[in-house]
Amino acid sequence: MSKHPDTPARVPAPKRRLGVILVDPLPVVRAGLRLLIDDRPDMEVLAEAGSADEGIEVIQRVRRTRVVVLVGLALGGERDAFWLIRSLRERFPSHAVLGMGANADPTAISRALFVGADGFVDKNIDPVEFLQALRKAADHEMVLATPSPVQVGQVAQGLERRREVEIKLTQREREVLVVAAEGLTAREMAVRLGVAERTVTTHLARIYGKLGVGNRMAAIRAAARSGLVTVGTPE
Amino acid sequence: MGTPTIRVLMVDAHPLIRGVARLACEEAEDLELVGEAADAGEALNAATALSPHVVILDLDLPDGGGQDTLARLKEARYPGVVLALSERGDGAAVLDALKFGVKSYLLKGAAMRGLADAIRRTAAGERIIDPGLELGAVLKLGEFARKARESSEVAALLTRREQQILVYLSEGLTMHQMGTRLGISPRTVETHAAKLYRKLGARTRVQAVARAARLGLINLD
Repeated sequence: MSKHPDTPARVPAPKRRLGVILVDPLPVVRAGLRLLIDDRPDMEVLAEAGSADEGIEVIQRVRRTRVVVLVGLALGGERDAFWLIRSLRERFPSHAVLGMGANADPTAISRALFVGADGFVDKNIDPVEFLQALRKAADHEMVLATPSPVQVGQVAQGLERRREVEIKLTQREREVLVVAAEGLTAREMAVRLGVAERTVTTHLARIYGKLGVGNRMAAIRAAARSGLVTVGTPE
Repeated sequence: MGTPTIRVLMVDAHPLIRGVARLACEEAEDLELVGEAADAGEALNAATALSPHVVILDLDLPDGGGQDTLARLKEARYPGVVLALSERGDGAAVLDALKFGVKSYLLKGAAMRGLADAIRRTAAGERIIDPGLELGAVLKLGEFARKARESSEVAALLTRREQQILVYLSEGLTMHQMGTRLGISPRTVETHAAKLYRKLGARTRVQAVARAARLGLINLD
């Protein structure tokens, strides 16, 4: 903590170049973004990936600060965009994470925020605004950059629905619901979770009670509405 | 080709502010003030009876009447849109209003001048809100998301027993009483409670209950 009398105290250090990591299933999207970003003097693309696993792998190798990870919400499969966002939040908490989509509905945006995204950018917005969103995210400011005004209220409602469903359920019960949403029988669920079939049915009965529903389909609907599970393929 | 008339309901505790809306509507050919209300009860009755296209709602009605009206309109699936008037411009207030389905949000005072225009645009599906206010709501949304995630994460850690004990703790039961209810020894209850405290990051019963309430895991009302 030595003071340098020669150094003017109030000159802010120039900001470090912003590093962007692109994770999106579409190569064309990544290529387009790379052109847009690499053309700016204050930012550059550090790495890109086409899947969540690949994304984690390249991010591990990045040794930088002021990093923004752009995660395309269209990433599907078991390790989807939401899985990736949650993992990034846990493993690389200092990186900013932005969900990215096209005409995403408020539910998708609130899912992204719930699992830990610092904001959402829509691919349909003006490039200048897109870049501005990246800069804001790098400064850890919440961003919602969409072409039409964001349904802030609906996104908040989505978050609340998710929270209300989840706080009622234990971790195990959440896992049971996720498997149930795949349409498995109780026996298949038991095999998957490595427990007895009776245990699964007990969990299910408790879940119905907590969610105030009468059957499995209604429980899955409630969980899907909240964003805890997805039924069918997203996007 | 006449423009269809927009039916307006004005809800405000102050006759003077209701007067502003009345004037705005009288001066405009396409706006018709179909009713006025001064509190939540009147507002709800008027909204049901008069089926206005736009409800201008004062969010600062006494006793939380504004929020109450919003919640009940939402519950009743009221098909019109709400243009909110408020004195509060902070992110939390704006986000709260938007969450309850408010379409447009105007600060009292300055915004009142363009009221007729705001009514028209709101009726046409546009959202009228100052960008600064909306930004405040977006920033608040980030915090809201963080809190929602945090309460979900803490809730996931709790076992059923611990959840039960948490409720009993908030009801003020002694360890002995809890033991009797659960059919276990007070010592076992204490062990569960200690684990519960640790998961909540609390040292005392009051801290645990306060933190759980803040996270929305229990309801203190």
